[in-house]
Amino acid sequence: MSEQKLFTLRNPWFGAAVGITGGIAVLSFLAGLIWLPLAQPDLKISGIWDAICSAAGVPRAAPQSSVQQPDFKTSSVVLTSEMLTHPDQVSIGRGATLAQRCAICHGPEGVSDANSPNLAGQFAAVTYKELNDFKAGARVNVVMSPFAATMSNQDMLDIAAYYAYLPRVPSNKIDAELAAPRIVVTGAPMRNIPPCGACHGDIDTKAGSPWLGGQSAVYIKAQLEAFASGSRHNDISQQMRNIARQMTGEEIDQVARYYAAQP
Amino acid sequence: MTTESDSHLGEAVAARIERRWATLSIVVVGVLVGMAIFIGIDHATMPQGHVETADPKTLHLTGEFIESNLGSAMEADGSVTVRAIGQQYSFTPQCIVVPSETPVTLRATSADAVHGLLIEGTNINTMLVPGYVSELPVRFKAPGEHAMPCQEFCGIGHQGMWAKVKVVDKTAFLRMMASRRRLSCVD
Ligand code: HEC
Ligand code: HEC
Ligand SMILES: [Cu+2]
Repeated sequence: MSEQKLFTLRNPWFGAAVGITGGIAVLSFLAGLIWLPLAQPDLKISGIWDAICSAAGVPRAAPQSSVQQPDFKTSSVVLTSEMLTHPDQVSIGRGATLAQRCAICHGPEGVSDANSPNLAGQFAAVTYKELNDFKAGARVNVVMSPFAATMSNQDMLDIAAYYAYLPRVPSNKIDAELAAPRIVVTGAPMRNIPPCGACHGDIDTKAGSPWLGGQSAVYIKAQLEAFASGSRHNDISQQMRNIARQMTGEEIDQVARYYAAQP
Repeated sequence: MTTESDSHLGEAVAARIERRWATLSIVVVGVLVGMAIFIGIDHATMPQGHVETADPKTLHLTGEFIESNLGSAMEADGSVTVRAIGQQYSFTPQCIVVPSETPVTLRATSADAVHGLLIEGTNINTMLVPGYVSELPVRFKAPGEHAMPCQEFCGIGHQGMWAKVKVVDKTAFLRMMASRRRLSCVD
C-alpha cells in the first residue's frame, strides 16, 4: 500500500479529489464573477470582462453627474488629526512677533477681556483653520476678517504654533462648582447631539474642534446661534451646524455659561 | 492474526466511509455556493456590484460630496439620487427626503471612520467605509418617517449619530423639488 504514489493522476482518489475541487472552483468563479453581476439589473454591466472586473473589485469611475456648486464660500482647509502637532521653536518665535497686532483684541497673552475669543492654548489646527477661513471668506466677521486677509500661509502656521504654545490662562470667571448641563455630559442622542466633549477635547478631540473652556459666554452663544441659523457655515460638511441646529435656546444658554466657567 | 480476507474487508470499509465523507463535504460546499447564488439572484442581500473610491479628506473640496450637492436630486429618467456623507458624529444631510414608489439610488461615503447606514423598517443596511463610495438601489413603498442611526461604532460620540428619512408621496416630492436643485428636510 505505502509504496503506491499518492500524487499521481493514476491514483483514482487523487484524480477525483483534484477534479471535483477544480470543478467547484470553476463553477463558483463563473457564478460569482459572471452570472451574479450580470443578473443585477442596476449594475448595467457592458460585457463579460466588465462583469469580472466589477465583481473582482477593480475601482470604477464615478458616474458623470452635474455637481451643484454652493452659493456661499465653504472651508477649503484639509484637516488631519496629526496636523500641526509638532511645532518648532522658530515658528513659535515668528508667531510671537506676528501676534503683536492681535493683542488689542485677543489679549497680550492670548486671553481676552473683551468678548473676542481667547487664543492661548488653542489647538494649532483650529487657529490655522479659522484664519484660513476668515481669509477665504468662508467665515466672515467685520472686525476680524481684515486681519486675516493679508496673511500668508506661513504667517498662519506660525501664529497657530505660537498661540498653541501659550498656556491657557484660567480666566477670572472659573467656577468649578457649576454642574455640567445634561447636554454637555450626555448630549441628546435622539436629536443627533453627541456629548460636546466627544469632539471639543474634554473627552476626545476631533480635528478642528476648538477648545471651549474659558471662552466668553457671549461669544459661545453667538457662535452657536450663528451655526444654527447657518450664518456661520465654515464647519466642514456641517459637522457643527448639525448639532447647533438641534439645540434649544435654553441649552445654548446653559452650555455658554458652563464653558465660560471652565479652565 | 489478521487473515488476507480480513485486511481486504477493512480496506473496502475504509474506502466506502472515505467516499461517503468526501461526498458529504462536496455536498456541503455545493449547498453553500448554491445559497450564495440564490441570495444574490433573489436580492435577499444586495452586495455592492462595483467599487468606487473617494478621498475622505477632500470630500468637501470637489466632487459630488461637497456640501451643496448633498441631498436628493432628480435624474432625467425620473429616478432620484440621494447623496449623503457620514462623519463623526452626524450624517449630512441630517434629514433625507425621498418619494415613495420611485427608484432611488443612495450614494454615500465616510469622511473619517467607518460608519454604518441603516434605515429602520427597511432592509437598507450598509457600511460607509472611508475611501469608498457605497451605492444602494432602494425603493420605499409607502410615505412615513424612518430613523437612520449609525450602526457601526465610530467613536466616543457614536450613540448620538442619527439622521432621519422622510418618505413622502411622489406628487408632494415633485412639488417640493420644483423650486430646488437639491432637496433635504433639514430645517
Ligand atoms: C479688532 C479686534 C481684533 C483683532 C485686532 C484681531 N481679532 Fe481675531 N477675532 C476678533 C473677533 C471679534 C473674533 C470673533 C469673530 C466672530 O465672532 O466670528 C475673532 C476671532 C478670531 C479667531 C477665531 C477663534 C475661534 O476660536 O474660532 C482667530 C483664530 C483669530 N481671531 C485670530 C486673530 C489673529 C491671529 C489676529 C492678529 C493677526 C487677530 N485675530 C486680530 C477680533 C480681532
Ligand atoms: C462632531 C464633533 C462636535 C461635537 C459633538 C460638538 N462640536 Fe462644537 N464644533 C465642532 C467643530 C469641528 C467646530 C469648528 C468648526 C469650524 O470652524 O471648522 C466646532 C465649533 C464650535 C464652537 C465655535 C467655537 C469657536 O471658537 O469658533 C462652539 C461654541 C461649539 N462648537 C460648541 C459646541 C457645543 C456646546 C457642543 C455640545 C452641545 C458641541 N460644540 C459639540 C465639532 C463638534
Ligand atoms: Cu458613525
